[in-house]
Amino acid sequence: MSISRRKFLGWVGAAGLSTTIGKSANAATNKQFTGYPKSFAILHDTTLCVGCRSCEAACNKVNDLPQPDKPFTDLSVLETKRRTTTTGFTVVNKYDNPKDSQNPVFYKKQCNHCLEPACASVCFVRAFKKTKTGAVTYDSSVCVGCRYCIIACPFEIPTFEYDQVLTPRIRKCTMCYPRVIEGLLPGCVEACPMEALSFGKREDMMTIARERFRKYPDRYVDHIYGEHEMGGTSWLYISGTPFNKLDMREDLGITPAPQLTAGALSSVPMIVGLWPVLLAGIYAVSKRKEKIAQTEKQQALTSALDKERPDESDIEEES
Amino acid sequence: MVKGKSLLIGSGISVAIVILFVCFMGALDVKALSKTPDDTQPIMFRPDIITFDNMEVFGKLEKTKAIFLHDQHTDALEKINKDCTACHKTENGRMSQKFMRLKDISREELTKIYCDNCTKCHTEMIAAGEKAGPVKCDECHKERPSIQSSRVPMGFDKSLHFRHYRAQDNKCDRCHHEYDKKSQKLFYAKGKEGTCRYCHKEEPEGDATVKVISMRFASHLACIDCHQQTRAKHMDAGPLRCAGCHDAQEQLKIEKVKHVPRLKRGQPDNVIIKTGDEKGVIPSMMRVPFDHKAHEAYNDTCRVCHLASLESCATCHPLDGSKKATKNGREITLETAFHKRGHQSSCTGCHESKQQDKNCAGCHAFMNKTRQQESAACLRCHMIPLPERTGELSTSKAAKMARLMPQLWKETFGPIYKVDVPKTVVLKDLVNQYEPAEYPHRKVFDAMVKKLDGSKLAQYFHYDDTTLCRGCHHNTPAAGKPPRCANCHDKPFNEDNLFRPGIMGSFHQQCLGCHQKMGVEKYTGCISCHKERKKES
Repeated sequence: MSISRRKFLGWVGAAGLSTTIGKSANAATNKQFTGYPKSFAILHDTTLCVGCRSCEAACNKVNDLPQPDKPFTDLSVLETKRRTTTTGFTVVNKYDNPKDSQNPVFYKKQCNHCLEPACASVCFVRAFKKTKTGAVTYDSSVCVGCRYCIIACPFEIPTFEYDQVLTPRIRKCTMCYPRVIEGLLPGCVEACPMEALSFGKREDMMTIARERFRKYPDRYVDHIYGEHEMGGTSWLYISGTPFNKLDMREDLGITPAPQLTAGALSSVPMIVGLWPVLLAGIYAVSKRKEKIAQTEKQQALTSALDKERPDESDIEEES
Repeated sequence: MVKGKSLLIGSGISVAIVILFVCFMGALDVKALSKTPDDTQPIMFRPDIITFDNMEVFGKLEKTKAIFLHDQHTDALEKINKDCTACHKTENGRMSQKFMRLKDISREELTKIYCDNCTKCHTEMIAAGEKAGPVKCDECHKERPSIQSSRVPMGFDKSLHFRHYRAQDNKCDRCHHEYDKKSQKLFYAKGKEGTCRYCHKEEPEGDATVKVISMRFASHLACIDCHQQTRAKHMDAGPLRCAGCHDAQEQLKIEKVKHVPRLKRGQPDNVIIKTGDEKGVIPSMMRVPFDHKAHEAYNDTCRVCHLASLESCATCHPLDGSKKATKNGREITLETAFHKRGHQSSCTGCHESKQQDKNCAGCHAFMNKTRQQESAACLRCHMIPLPERTGELSTSKAAKMARLMPQLWKETFGPIYKVDVPKTVVLKDLVNQYEPAEYPHRKVFDAMVKKLDGSKLAQYFHYDDTTLCRGCHHNTPAAGKPPRCANCHDKPFNEDNLFRPGIMGSFHQQCLGCHQKMGVEKYTGCISCHKERKKES
């Protein structure tokens, strides 16, 4: 195989240039993935939530999860801050209300179903999928149990069944994907007596939130949490208390998680592709150099020998 | 040739390395997600902080502003038997508020006065073995001072005003004054008294000839001077230390007179608020009778309503918006001045703020805060005189009409609720996990009627038999039996009617919301209203 130096350097240059061009083109556009059109979302209005735990009970029921030690009607559970577990995909936590000490604030925590999920972007077997309903689903049949998703999730949601020796799974809220495609409401939404959870198209949920801001400007912080956080989520929150007071991270920024690593990761195939080419190129060029040197040496030798030859012939002639 | 080739190969490799490096930097962005710990430094709060910023008038400051604790110095000087004169000079029997001078002359002089006098005293104290303040520049001019001000503004409420009035033997001229431009002197004008702030603003105003000192300056000059003089006579007097007036805790200790007699300054008992004038604005709305005397009692100072002067509202706020004027709120029409929401000085704004009371919140918290008043409500203020009095009222002059009005109001007060309210309502719409809830309808209604008792305002505006009903039965015609809740509230999340809650949501939001807002009974779980349904076996 012969490869010309000029051709090789041309390839390297083109490859390098194409990565830079690709990046700047992306930065200059207004287009960004803002979720599947008409996908669903759930709006959690913390000002309406009374902390009855009906959502937790309903979640337990629709997902066939084991019964907890304390029943769902036991509200003393709210005294400690909890997080999602392998057997509880959603938890309601209680927080002090700076506006009204008599009426605490309740915040329901579960998978936020990001529009561009970090868990899906790190999963190299594609066990996670952002579906068109808005739900981020998980397929345990392909999962290898690397738990990258747990590390990647900015909301610290996915949990791992450490107690399952043979078939451990990642467990998290499914946004009731199986129910939603059947036309049913998600379990928690259906059970909420206060309608503190609203379900519908993401745009409609946003409209409801804004209408509430307009009608009751004193009641709310003028921000829909999840509209832009981490590139937007399919769970949206409105509150009368600043979100950081409810342990909701306000330092996440609006860039979707995959985009943070996209720059670095997009170059992986390029590096993987380019290194062999580069090394092979270097090898080929040096080989060619050696070959040329060899040929030149040979030529020099031959010409040197040729110069000697007449003498020999002379000798021959002489003899 | 060989040399050229290796050069090209070398540059190829370096291009690859650069690409790798760029990618690595991209990966570093992920770090932006990690949390940063908060920078917390303990900060002390004091009410007596004075920031030395006098030199700002001479241009940009070289150093950060020094912070001075006034009470600390007063106390320290008192201990060594020194009084205010240790730092403040006196001119014409009045103590200057400035430090060791009467006037600010130049930058250099000021620097010298502060640096020399402060350090001089501190050095002397230290030499005498006492505890003293800084002597080095940076100890006063700190980049990040660890003390912050907890000063609260001081106000002269009706009680405090009355106590001073009493103590001064009813002599208003001890404090109130006007300025005569010709003789350049202060004089007292009877019947012209107003709040200090009408003339003395946040910042000094006026030109070189007539300079109106700032409120801050004026109040310290007048109050402290008088307090000092009174104390010198061994009489009881107000505070001299900063904290005495400006500390939140100390303010609570100020004696309050419970029944303050009405302030007399020639104000009317009742006023008829005009909706037209002689200059051509045709009255379109009914005139509004206003009980001035009663409203005086509801507020702590006249300034709550009379923002810029004690003149009548129409003096500053024009009836007609087309008239151009910009001074003293003249660009705000009379209509806006009376109806502006969220403003404590307007009728609507103040009345709406009363709706936030716990007794009212059950209904009013749910009402759209940006809605327009119903036009029927306009007539509660812009009232149509009762028919049998019309003749008398329409012929009488404004002053007489105002006198007659209280009689009219009395007749409209105290609504009688003759509504047929069912005793209990069983809410069967949602029977599933729980038995139907029994709603004690009459008990709730009676409790609401009782809440009106204490409030004249509430009684006056809940005039109609069914006004109270509409707290829950909203969007319902005033007459007749209201429709069932489930007629409108059916399944939740209806795309055609996004903002209408479903039946379960509407019940729970209404009941629990009202209980929460009015502080009735705390939510203690579903079984506080519903009996659990026995499972059929």
